[in-house]
Amino acid sequence: MITLTINGLQTSVEKGTTLLEAASSLGFPIPTLCHMEGLSPYGACRLCMVEIGEGPRAKLVSSCTYPAQEGLKVRTASSRVLRARNMVIELLLASCPQSKTIQDIAAAHNIRRQRFRQEYEDCILCGLCVRMCEEQMMAKAIGFRGRGQNRTVGTPFDIKSDVCRLCGGCIYVCPTCQLRCTYTEPEKAICGGCANLAPPCVEKDQFDDMMCYMTPCVACEIEKD
Amino acid sequence: MERLQVIEDFSSLQARLTADREPNIPVIVIPAGTCGQASGANDLIRVTKRELLDKGLTDKIHLRVTGCHGFCEAEPSVLIEPQGTFYPKVDAKQMVRIVQAVAADEVLEDLLFADPETGRGFYRYDKIPFFRNQQRSIMRMNQALDPIRIYTCIVSGGYGALQDVLANRSPYQALQEVKDSGLRGRGGAGFPTGLKWDLLAALPDEPAKILVCNADEGDPGAYMDRSILEGNPHSIIEGMLIAAYATGATEGVLYVRNEYPLAIKHLMIALRQCRELGLLGDDILGTGLRFDIELVRGAGAFVCGEETALIRSIEGKMGEPVQRPPFPVEKGINGRPTAINNVETWANIPLIFKLGAEEYAKVGTNGNTGTKIFSLVGKIKNTGLVEVPMGITIEKIVHDIGGGARGNGKIKAVQTGGPSGGCIPADRFDLPVDYDSLAKAGSIMGSGGMIVMDDNTCMVDVAKYFMNFLMDESCGKCFTCRKGTQRMYEILEDISNGKATLQDLDLLEELAHVVKDTTMCGLGQTASNPVLSTLRYFRDEYIEHIENQRCPAGVCKELVTYSINENCTGCGLCVTVCSEGAISGEKKGRHVIDVDKCIKCGSCRTVCNFDAIDVR
Amino acid sequence: MNANEIRDIVEKHPSDRGGLIAILEDIQAKYSYLPEDALRLLAEETGTSLVDIYGVATFYSLFSLTPRGKHLCSVCMGTACHVRGAPVIADEFSRQLQTDPGETSSDGEFTLDTVNCLGACAIGPVVVMDGHYFSNVDSGQVKRIIKKTRAGLDDAQIKKHMRHYLYDVNCSRCNHSLMDPDHPIDGAPSIRLTMSSERQHGWIRLSALYGSFTVESEFGIRTSTVLDVFCPHCHGELKSPTTCPLCAAPMVTLFIRSGGVLQICSRRGCKGHMLDLEGAGI
Repeated sequence: MITLTINGLQTSVEKGTTLLEAASSLGFPIPTLCHMEGLSPYGACRLCMVEIGEGPRAKLVSSCTYPAQEGLKVRTASSRVLRARNMVIELLLASCPQSKTIQDIAAAHNIRRQRFRQEYEDCILCGLCVRMCEEQMMAKAIGFRGRGQNRTVGTPFDIKSDVCRLCGGCIYVCPTCQLRCTYTEPEKAICGGCANLAPPCVEKDQFDDMMCYMTPCVACEIEKD
Repeated sequence: MERLQVIEDFSSLQARLTADREPNIPVIVIPAGTCGQASGANDLIRVTKRELLDKGLTDKIHLRVTGCHGFCEAEPSVLIEPQGTFYPKVDAKQMVRIVQAVAADEVLEDLLFADPETGRGFYRYDKIPFFRNQQRSIMRMNQALDPIRIYTCIVSGGYGALQDVLANRSPYQALQEVKDSGLRGRGGAGFPTGLKWDLLAALPDEPAKILVCNADEGDPGAYMDRSILEGNPHSIIEGMLIAAYATGATEGVLYVRNEYPLAIKHLMIALRQCRELGLLGDDILGTGLRFDIELVRGAGAFVCGEETALIRSIEGKMGEPVQRPPFPVEKGINGRPTAINNVETWANIPLIFKLGAEEYAKVGTNGNTGTKIFSLVGKIKNTGLVEVPMGITIEKIVHDIGGGARGNGKIKAVQTGGPSGGCIPADRFDLPVDYDSLAKAGSIMGSGGMIVMDDNTCMVDVAKYFMNFLMDESCGKCFTCRKGTQRMYEILEDISNGKATLQDLDLLEELAHVVKDTTMCGLGQTASNPVLSTLRYFRDEYIEHIENQRCPAGVCKELVTYSINENCTGCGLCVTVCSEGAISGEKKGRHVIDVDKCIKCGSCRTVCNFDAIDVR
Repeated sequence: MNANEIRDIVEKHPSDRGGLIAILEDIQAKYSYLPEDALRLLAEETGTSLVDIYGVATFYSLFSLTPRGKHLCSVCMGTACHVRGAPVIADEFSRQLQTDPGETSSDGEFTLDTVNCLGACAIGPVVVMDGHYFSNVDSGQVKRIIKKTRAGLDDAQIKKHMRHYLYDVNCSRCNHSLMDPDHPIDGAPSIRLTMSSERQHGWIRLSALYGSFTVESEFGIRTSTVLDVFCPHCHGELKSPTTCPLCAAPMVTLFIRSGGVLQICSRRGCKGHMLDLEGAGI
């Protein structure tokens, strides 16, 4: 067992536990985007930053990837953490304002504006879909391509992948388009995406026949033309 | 090549080679690293060989082709040993004369390197200020040996440290020696090398431990690693062999960037020769030591200089950094313990054993021992590689060794540490160069690039340049690094276009701090340094761009106009180079630039011999 | 693309670490880019998933998924080159070749690339054209560099007054002259030897111009075949105990009468050679 202090509370966790898991078990909320139970930790969205260490050696780390260490002192809501978190949310809003998930996170943190040039990107490259495809669906049909500003998610050569089974798992986990598939809770289904299934991460015609996660998608009673 | 079976075989080979040496025969030394070859060293080598053969001088004069000596400004150059005569910027015709002069034991005074003040030539290379003010313990080896002929390396002391360690020390003692030397990693972060080895040595022998030489020198403006790889690849192999003995590692990996074809070639040759000679492989020199090195070529990604990305790249994956801990020394390549050191660090290891840790630690300052090689480039007179003791001031490097500004400019800053570093303004040139002082000043030591900037360099443009570099070279995994660098670039571009406000400047600074805080690897954590350090020392330049829409250095295209002043003689040279046909005028009369047609490419300014093009 | 060629490349690299990048480098060296079929076949042969291969192929800037031009022009954009005006050089190449950086000109001749530092910072701005370095480039030189490249950089390499002919090459066994004045190559007597390979036996003549790799032979030899080379006079084999620094094939030793040893690689197409003026060297 490893003993560490989170926000002044001492706790003991199993070796290999992440700071996010340890903090959550104590009930400290940490916002996340690219983290999902059942998928391996990745650390792409930088929303779950927490502060560790003390004095000049204090630093921020992503709690979803950082392993708990003996004697570690963790702060999940220090001013430094909040400043960073707010800026990350602002950057997210600046790139992908249409995502309900991001809007909700912004609202929860009282972020009401962003100061950058507004963009409307479909993907924040959180990699949930990539990990879903590989780790849960055992398909490896989509993956990251390129680097830096040219990084994208998709199939090799942007054509239909032989190993894709059109399971829709990638769409299900996507934080920027997931509401397209929540017809079962009509009050949340704000985008009507089922009628216009164009998953951003795989937006090529070969996916025209794709069903949404909750097949058959006609069940949501929106006519496809 | 005969395989050396036991340590004594090595000693007798060394003795035999030394005895064969004819110290009184003059040697023409021609540096032919990448820079040298690009400047024409190959022609000199060919001409020299022709002259020696045609004139029947092959037993009277010897020729040695080596790696870079460091004085790149003077390339292609020729050094005559043992006299130490140095001829800069030699062409093929002069080379013929030089061969004749060496044969006649004469010195060609008109070709010597002239003192910029007195105009008199220097008779010995080590009297030239560029060399005189350095302490060249590693670079000096480059001029002593031919990198593709291992015997020339052995005769000049190569693998002597390995022999000494194998014969006279236990692995523990070898490790202790490195610890005592106080050597810190030359890759940038300055982690104590002995400590890293210690961590590796403490681990069990299974799974097999790996040593890596990080030769992915990606910092633009830094090339000292390339010159060691090209000029003395054996020093790296010897360093790794000593580490293998000290830590029990059995495998080595040399990760070299693909942009260095000559370095790869020399390394491959060196590795092959070592295997043939029995310096790599099983039971090295009969001591039971087992170690071999594999060469892995990078494929062009700056981020692979970061430890964890480097490991992923060696594993054949995308070079995405991963969370540390666990550190590579616990879990590295394919999950095995891995110690990664930079090229210059490895090259320092044989030196420590040659001098002894105590003697080695006398160089430099407390906590920053030994020498460091810097690549002094940009707007400086003597560009090249300079090796100096740690703790020397920037002033000394820039003025005493570098010879001050190039042309009429006035030096205003040096940029150290590449895209992860920052700019140090001229009024802080009294700063000693060591890991801690530079970090305190908002820059980093980095791998050793030192780019000199003068008043024709715009600091906003410099920050923009690095941000452009980083948004392409970031792996793109961390949202704040990928998007943060893009957004910083966006704001910097607005500033350089005169479209930003003072609020944007605050936002830039705020964002820069958050990017530093919220990214996973060293690339992201230092990506803001170019912005933060220029903001710290050159904020007035930023404000000038924003409030007065003026670029003081005349670099930001949107904010400047080109015009021709009264110096114009009407020679018409600028008209011929202007691709847009924007310049017109009477012959021998003052010309004018049509500002609507002008694309501000700067061609006219480059060619003008009369300083008649104004950029305001 | 030839499936066997790809399989050969895969076989050359052990399947553990690093293999993939090295394999892709070799494929690219062969075809100048990474053809889709080659990557699919590679996935099959190595059992690596196509997504991973494609990810690596797009991550590293060395790799190209589209065919490249005949000539590769890399303009260095390192800091030192940048402050000395590299962006202007890149723009000028762009204008002259009418292609954007990263693209290939419409006639398929040139691919223009900008690279982040070639490590030749002291002599910047630097341009590398097909492996040849051009230093201190200014925008006026761009046209000339392109013209030179079209004419062939290898041919233009050795200027007349810097040429060096090895006029007196002898057999390293019988010391008989090997020069053949009746069959000049590159404007000088050639070096005549006999060779055998794959049960064929015949003459081979080498250019005596140092730096030239022109070879004539009685029968065609496949590239990268290792030849057995003999003296036409004493018929002794000229194999040296040294191996080629580049490819590890045995070297062929020849003597130069005025004092020196010439060693050339016995592998067809390999440019490995050593000219030692003071005895055997290594």
